[in-house]
Amino acid sequence: MVIYSFYIFDRHTECIYSKTWLPPPSAATTSQHDIPTNNSTSGAGSANSTDPHHNPMRSARSAVSAANKASDDAKLIFGTVFSLRNMVRKLGGEDDAFISYRTAQYKLHYYETASNLRFVMLTDTGTLSMRNVMHQIYINLWCEYVVKNPLSPVEHKGGAGVRNELFELGLNQFITGLIAR
Amino acid sequence: MSASKASRLGEEIWKTRIEKVNAELVVLTYGTIVAQICKDFENDYTEVNKQLDKMGYNIGLRLIEDYLAKSNTMRRCSNFRETAEMIAKVGFKIFLNVTPTITNWTSDNKQFSLVFDENPLADFVELPDDGRAQDELWFSNILCGVLRGALEMVQMQVETHFISDVLRGNDTTEMRVTLVRYIDDELPPEDD
Repeated sequence: MVIYSFYIFDRHTECIYSKTWLPPPSAATTSQHDIPTNNSTSGAGSANSTDPHHNPMRSARSAVSAANKASDDAKLIFGTVFSLRNMVRKLGGEDDAFISYRTAQYKLHYYETASNLRFVMLTDTGTLSMRNVMHQIYINLWCEYVVKNPLSPVEHKGGAGVRNELFELGLNQFITGLIAR
Repeated sequence: MSASKASRLGEEIWKTRIEKVNAELVVLTYGTIVAQICKDFENDYTEVNKQLDKMGYNIGLRLIEDYLAKSNTMRRCSNFRETAEMIAKVGFKIFLNVTPTITNWTSDNKQFSLVFDENPLADFVELPDDGRAQDELWFSNILCGVLRGALEMVQMQVETHFISDVLRGNDTTEMRVTLVRYIDDELPPEDD
């Protein structure tokens, strides 16, 4: 089992937590082009002049876009799962749940609580349902370390209060344990 | 979920998954809080009720997550009647070990009463004998706030208030719960 990344979205549709373990194969190949290299300005010789990525203007921009990429990814993922969930409900009735979808490269798992907290996990294509895993994360980590932390705010605007030590530690242990199994 | 199934669920969670604390500790702590608020607001009981409700609301916003986790709820209640059953037989059971009776439904199924045969918050309590507390103070008003906050998080806007309290000399302790509306899902912001 390989787990690529994990996201939590709150009921205001904001991504309040994200974590990446390994880049999914498709993202890995595209991001190589996006990463600005240090010699991009000095090494922009004639040999590279045909490569648009070595244009200094371009690499400065891509540095900014790399910073935004993660949050754009999160927004895209939310848009996708939100639409899929609504479509699934429209076709299969209110009680029907969108569970996962799979591409040639990865599998996306979705779990939503009654309080409209949404959990998304990207894994390799062979992984079985992770709904239960995400439910456990909600019960044992989210409730215990985020909700019951008196210093953490109720609304996690910008992810406030989520990224605390116990939650991070617990999540890492839980996921590491899963992968080792 | 049927009424009997809900009460079995509540019973089972209470027995197996709940950490218990000393009831007197809770009662005395709550009593002290109410007494202090009365002092802070110079016995302006309308304001005290408001403050208790607000405290409860903030508790409810968080408590709902604990409720969902403990009760292992994976799906929403299908109607407000089921919600009422779950509140009384699971919610109150697992957090306070009481099961209020659900009565007095209105015909549109949007309003019901919770009648508390026992109210652990009110043990040992006598309202101040200043001639006003008996008419103005709702001692357990924090519970109204808890319900309002918790239900808001699962997309139900409700209005809650006490209409009688044995502490005031009434025969029963009764809370009225009214469903105002179901809250819609929030949509992601439009791209610019």
